[in-house]
Amino acid sequence: EATYAIERAMDALADVMGIDPMELRRRNFIRKEQFPYTAFTGLVYDSGDHELAMDKAAAMADYAGVRARQATQNVPGATKVIGIGQASYFEMCGLAPSRVLASLNYSAGGWEAATIRVLPTNKVQVVTGTAPHGQGHETAWSMIVADKLGVSPDDVDVLHSDTAIAPLGLDTYGSRSLPVGGVAIALACDKVIDKARKIAAHQLEASEDDLDFAGGTFSVKGSPDRALPLAAIAFEAFTAHNLPDGLEPNLEAQVTYDPPNFSWPFGTHICTVEIDTETGQVDVLQYVAVDDCGNQVNPMIVEGQVHGGVIQGLAQALFEEAVYDTDGNLKNASLAEYLVPAACDVPPITLGHTVTPSPTNPLGVKGIGEAGTIGAAPAVINAIVDALSHLGVREMPMPASPHTVWNAIRNAQGASK
Amino acid sequence: MITAPFDYVRAESAAQAISLIGQHGDEAKFLAGGHSLLPLMKLRLAAPSVLVDIGRIRDLSYIRDAGDHVAIGALTRHMDVETSALLAEHAPLLAHAASHVGDPQVRHRGTIGGSIAHADPASDLPATTLALGATYVAQGPNGTREIAATDFYQGFLESALAPDEMLTEIRVPKMAGAGWSFQKFNRRAQDWAIVGVAAWRRGTESGVALVNMGSTPILATSVSGALAQGASVGDAAQLAAEEAEPQNDLNASPEYRVHLAKVLVRRALEESSR
Repeated sequence: EATYAIERAMDALADVMGIDPMELRRRNFIRKEQFPYTAFTGLVYDSGDHELAMDKAAAMADYAGVRARQATQNVPGATKVIGIGQASYFEMCGLAPSRVLASLNYSAGGWEAATIRVLPTNKVQVVTGTAPHGQGHETAWSMIVADKLGVSPDDVDVLHSDTAIAPLGLDTYGSRSLPVGGVAIALACDKVIDKARKIAAHQLEASEDDLDFAGGTFSVKGSPDRALPLAAIAFEAFTAHNLPDGLEPNLEAQVTYDPPNFSWPFGTHICTVEIDTETGQVDVLQYVAVDDCGNQVNPMIVEGQVHGGVIQGLAQALFEEAVYDTDGNLKNASLAEYLVPAACDVPPITLGHTVTPSPTNPLGVKGIGEAGTIGAAPAVINAIVDALSHLGVREMPMPASPHTVWNAIRNAQGASK
Repeated sequence: MITAPFDYVRAESAAQAISLIGQHGDEAKFLAGGHSLLPLMKLRLAAPSVLVDIGRIRDLSYIRDAGDHVAIGALTRHMDVETSALLAEHAPLLAHAASHVGDPQVRHRGTIGGSIAHADPASDLPATTLALGATYVAQGPNGTREIAATDFYQGFLESALAPDEMLTEIRVPKMAGAGWSFQKFNRRAQDWAIVGVAAWRRGTESGVALVNMGSTPILATSVSGALAQGASVGDAAQLAAEEAEPQNDLNASPEYRVHLAKVLVRRALEESSR
């Protein structure tokens, strides 16, 4: 990710300027009152409060305390030194709109399709073009529909991933499923409610404007006894015995949503490491991630996404690497040699969040799938370089294996002698 | 990831196992816990035509006080070595080293005899028993014999066992209050050591063995020799790799391995001297 280069460059610049890396970022953040912000690339950043997220992460990581400890611990001759590093990312997510993707040479569009079908059995079918493989779409989409239609999430069936059922859809990537596919579902719910309102008005002999919709039931303003639940309307729509003139039977709506802009999640990750300078071994003492993905539909899924992403980013920084010999043969083709961290190799991860809704879509959501991976690699490497800076180390290739770290220390020491 | 075809027979006693291996010849292998042999077979680095399963020979799973040493049956699982009260008292270095083998699943299946007979220089228990001056007991068609650990490891995955001999017991001298340390340096908890050190020290006596510093487990005799002559821990540790032939692999160059061996031997001796 570009964030890796940007966040490494920020630390290098702070080092040259002789100021704290956190202060350099603070001076350069786009301030929250500047959003929506048109960048020199022409892209429009939707919303953000970067300083708030950074300050929250700094407090959670005890940034000042670690800096104070570092001053006493990282002395000449010390064999255990500590470092703290951050990554304050700003990410282009929710990949869409289609026209902009075309200008970026994407071969596909940026829309997603959703169908909402309220069955006469009082079950709601959701057909989504997003294809979950562990991201919890069934759960989150059910929650969106339950919120909109006033039904229980248990009564919502999410159908997906089979072209015989859900032929219209693009991809699950780029943290786009919620800000594109999830919003399509919310908009399709709105269309269902609009149609149901016509049927309710007809049967309750009221004007559409006089109807309230709450808790899954339409009622006439001022006369709560005159009411029709959505289930009854769905049944009426199915029998079609008594529908307004010109209205098609069945309570179903389809929406294809092509958002007007990307969404822009952001956050600050802070990693604290201790390094054994004799062996090069890196021990991650603490990892703090404060992410802002706008409104959260399901906070547990958000946490799970961040945990998984952070571990993948940590793995890139410390473990994973495809090694080839000079003839192009992959030398670590088994999982005994290609190092994927197991549960016991992962440090404690502390999560926090701020909520800055996106003004681009009616749910105010931004996407969370990539936040962890994007933040973790630069935060870890910045922490390692920070721990070793007093020894003259300025760069650290990934993965920062013990051998690589040991070499970097030795080379820096050789250069300074 | 699928083995070559092989036949499988199960032995109910050591004598039967030795008889079966004799019948099937050189291409037969003993199968104990299977946590070294089966991965090699799945990678097609080993392709025995017959496996003689000795894993159910219950009377070779024991840990007994035998006077000046502790006798451990070859089919004792790592988890039993790790948690043995007898070993905690008389050979705590071995019990602790067993807790570093693989992961809990491996330790519940793998056996100390299997690990030693496999003679992998990267495994923890061959080097640990070597440092402790253990003696191994082998049973063959003509009876049993004792093999000193110092004579046992002959090359990469090669031991002094004859093809029709079975390792039946490991005899570990009691540590008699010696200080000890086990240093395992790796990138992930479940991995083999990049470099490991098993060490004990009692007065002028010591034993130091290295994991993954050559084609066999390495006894660092120069270190013990220097300590016996009164060298400081720091000076003795500089001799850590005198007997080693460190290899190059994805995790470490020979130069880095030598450096790690010196650092880890120093730390191990410091811990053993406390």
